[in-house]
Amino acid sequence: MLAVSAGTLAYEVLLVRLFAIEQFHHFAYLAVGVAMLGVGASGTIFTLARARRALDPDRWLAGATQATAFALLVTPLAADLVTVDPTRLGWDAGQWLHLGLLQAVLAVPFALGGLTTLAALAGATDRPGLVYGASFAGAGLGAVAGVAVLGVLAPPRALALPALLAALGGWCVAPRAATALLLAGAAAGAARPPWRLDLLPYKGLAQVRAFPGSRVVAERSSPTGWVVAVEAPAFRFAPGLSLAYRGVFPPQRALFVDGELAGAVSQWSAESRALLDWQPAALPYAFGRRRRVLVLGAAGGHEVANALAHGATDVTAVTLQSAVAALAGVPDREVLGGEPAGRARWLVGDARSAVARTREGYDLITLGPLAGGAPGASAVAVGEDFHHTVEAYRLYLARLGTGGVLAITDWLAVPPRGEVRTILTAGAALRFHAGEHAARGLIVVRSWGTVTTLVKPDGFRPAEVDRIVAWAAERRFDVDWRPGLPAPVTRFNFLERPVPFEAARAAVGGSGEARRFAAAYPFDVQPATDARPYPHAFIGRRTIAMLAERGRGEWLPFAEWGYVAVLATLVQSVVLAAVLLLLPAVLAGGHGREGRARLLAYFGAIGFGYLFAEIAAIQQLTLLLGHPVYAVAGVLAALLVGSGAGSAWSDRLAPARAAAATLGLALGCGALAAGLLPLVHATQDWGLVVRGVTALAVLVPFAAGMGLPFALGLRRLAAGNDARIAWAWAANGFASVVAAPLAALIALEAGSEVLFLGAGAAYAVAGAVSARPS
Amino acid sequence: MSSRRTGLLLAVAAGACVPGRPAQAQGDPYARARSAMVDLIERRGVTDSATLAALRSVPRHEFVPPEQRRGAYGDFPLPIGYGQTISQPYIVGYMTEIIRPRPGLKVLEVGTGSGYQAAILAAAGSEVYTVEIFEPLATAASARLARLGHARVTVRHGDGHFGWAEHAPFDAVIVTAAAGYIPPALVEQLRPGGRMIIPVGTVQGVQYLILVEKDRGGDVTTRTLIPVRFVPMLEGLR
Repeated sequence: MLAVSAGTLAYEVLLVRLFAIEQFHHFAYLAVGVAMLGVGASGTIFTLARARRALDPDRWLAGATQATAFALLVTPLAADLVTVDPTRLGWDAGQWLHLGLLQAVLAVPFALGGLTTLAALAGATDRPGLVYGASFAGAGLGAVAGVAVLGVLAPPRALALPALLAALGGWCVAPRAATALLLAGAAAGAARPPWRLDLLPYKGLAQVRAFPGSRVVAERSSPTGWVVAVEAPAFRFAPGLSLAYRGVFPPQRALFVDGELAGAVSQWSAESRALLDWQPAALPYAFGRRRRVLVLGAAGGHEVANALAHGATDVTAVTLQSAVAALAGVPDREVLGGEPAGRARWLVGDARSAVARTREGYDLITLGPLAGGAPGASAVAVGEDFHHTVEAYRLYLARLGTGGVLAITDWLAVPPRGEVRTILTAGAALRFHAGEHAARGLIVVRSWGTVTTLVKPDGFRPAEVDRIVAWAAERRFDVDWRPGLPAPVTRFNFLERPVPFEAARAAVGGSGEARRFAAAYPFDVQPATDARPYPHAFIGRRTIAMLAERGRGEWLPFAEWGYVAVLATLVQSVVLAAVLLLLPAVLAGGHGREGRARLLAYFGAIGFGYLFAEIAAIQQLTLLLGHPVYAVAGVLAALLVGSGAGSAWSDRLAPARAAAATLGLALGCGALAAGLLPLVHATQDWGLVVRGVTALAVLVPFAAGMGLPFALGLRRLAAGNDARIAWAWAANGFASVVAAPLAALIALEAGSEVLFLGAGAAYAVAGAVSARPS
Repeated sequence: MSSRRTGLLLAVAAGACVPGRPAQAQGDPYARARSAMVDLIERRGVTDSATLAALRSVPRHEFVPPEQRRGAYGDFPLPIGYGQTISQPYIVGYMTEIIRPRPGLKVLEVGTGSGYQAAILAAAGSEVYTVEIFEPLATAASARLARLGHARVTVRHGDGHFGWAEHAPFDAVIVTAAAGYIPPALVEQLRPGGRMIIPVGTVQGVQYLILVEKDRGGDVTTRTLIPVRFVPMLEGLR
């Protein structure tokens, strides 16, 4: 059973990565939901089966084990047959059916894995803690294995691992011949995977692959991303290039991470390098010498080339992907005119930790339009990105030397929103560093397609402002904001409303004015924080109502459909879970109504509590560990192994301790809400291994406590009654399924700290329920 | 001359003056759907009479694969192969109106696709030069446009990044393939007083239409218009 649990959890972790690659990252959390759906459905199946006749737990264990391994082999093939276009969820009812069907298909292996655990529980009713503990421990190991395999095998081949693990579990309990066949099937799947990566056609890789003459020239896989380099004669990368540019383009290779464009590797020549001076990213070099440059979220070497071409002598480029650094290399400094004494180097790791560890004073820190978090790798919600929070900008400003500049370039959107948030966030960070002098420290320049925000804590001198204005005019870029600008001045690139000017004026006008501007703006543009790190999410409850008033098909491009996708999944999950879990249990009947209500309340509450705490921890530890995949694997492993140990130990405790355990967890969630994020900030500049150990030291003891309520509750409230066990399973499964997208929405709206408090409230409810005498 | 003969002559003359209107089959089964489509586009804000007339006259169903004809007049894009789509009719109308089509207008189109947009421009009287990077699409579009009688459209297989210098300058440039930048050659080949409309940027499937205007002195300004999607579509449950 340990192996089966390892297999299903490895599959869940791999699904997170596969969703991020094939879809956009919004669906990555769906993997958690379908796992819970399947596990919960297993309780329903078990109940209905036992209602018909007495079951032999050993036969069920053997059958369920082998069925799980078989399902892990064929489910990816079945899922390939179901396509979902999430951007059409807002107006195409058929996509809801597709989404529901996909969820049901993907839930099958988890349902069978859950049956394995239930069969084992049914055969060891006197030791539920040990059985459940083994299940937890196996799941924890599976989480680690699911991540580790991606360092060795590309995603399609890696899908063979879950089936292999589950099949190994059958070696001890099932007929050897059938088990050997399953093992052979898994091995064949690793050698020649029948599954394929089926990217949404909207993803950059899919579109560039369709270009005539395109060919993949390199492909590398790691736990942090799937990197592909494509040569296509028709591909060109030059964000915001001036319309006055009349030169040539260099040959370019497109770089993709998880199917999304991450940058380009260019073959510069003495002729083509002129292009670099006609892009908005060259602005910081127009008014001062930038010798020491830090490029964050670098991909493809474009910004490195930009720095070298403008005379930088010490360039550090930070990327999460070692493959990107290897493929991009360092541009030819001689061709670019860089000084021979200069150097450019790549640093592989997360940007926040890299900046926290350094004590250098940079002349320029730059983030380009593709420098958001880990492309396509958000684990839990609508794109966590810790590069663009108030805390991040404060940190960057603290690492500038005298006269240093922070430059952030965003794509221009219609209506403007990401660029507005950047301006407001920059203003908040600038007020922290420069206080009342913040008004002199902000400049905003806009091309036809990008907005570049410059932040200088020392303040821009008049001569610098004049040079910026002249440089921008030559390139037909508009200076939307400069110190002392009384009214918007647009000469080249017209917007319906001068939003960047209005946002900048509010940003330097003080925190109150910035808050009022954000509150009045139609979209959510208030600065992101580390507790609510969603700088690319602009839709909230109040925006949905506004969008719903527009005509069908007209509002969709505005819709930042990720939020809609999360809502759709929540609704879908409630319906599916109710149908698959609760309804059959109701129809199957069972014990008295009051006992059933108490059972539902207790096991439902601990289901919500567990998932809320898990997702809040994943989000905050993404900042600590530097990548969502490490956070998912690390948190899952810590929680599951710790919960397994706690569950195994629970057999020594009296069932009445359930109340104390849950109330203790409620307090623990409160402590995490108050203290985990400060701990993350305090340890940001430590090495990755030390940070990982710190995370384990905090999580594992808490997780041990989280393993108590289910096992204790089974003994206190289900008392070895099979029907009650199945009810408990169904209630817990329903709550877990609904909790995944609900947690994503809570995190989006209110942040991870509130999510921890929600977990605490759920455990408190469970504590109150279990404290009542039977 | 009798009044009846005069009336006949006037009718013939009127027919001869209608620009670029190819012959239509009797009893067009899609006529009502096409009319409803254009009515919808008009309600959504496209009011240019030449554009609307062109949309009414061009049989969109001839530009989609046979299996897609049932949806030919719905206001959504449709796949045409090679990962490409025929654009949503409203967007076609919107972009055409921006160009201000009229007889004698010389237009460069980048991204021929099915040839529908080129046919609309030609039906409005414009002279159209259109470039398509996918050779099979270019070949098919050329044959289709010739079959439907659109003599004012010249199709070429090539990379639209370089425009079509041999026939420059153009009064208007219309780009129907999403790009991450505005090709300098297209700006160069735009005549003073001309307009270009191009979708740029591509973040999670959404682009933004940019209007580029070159004034009489050759200075260029831009205006960001609306968000659009110029992306391939999924084919549903397979």
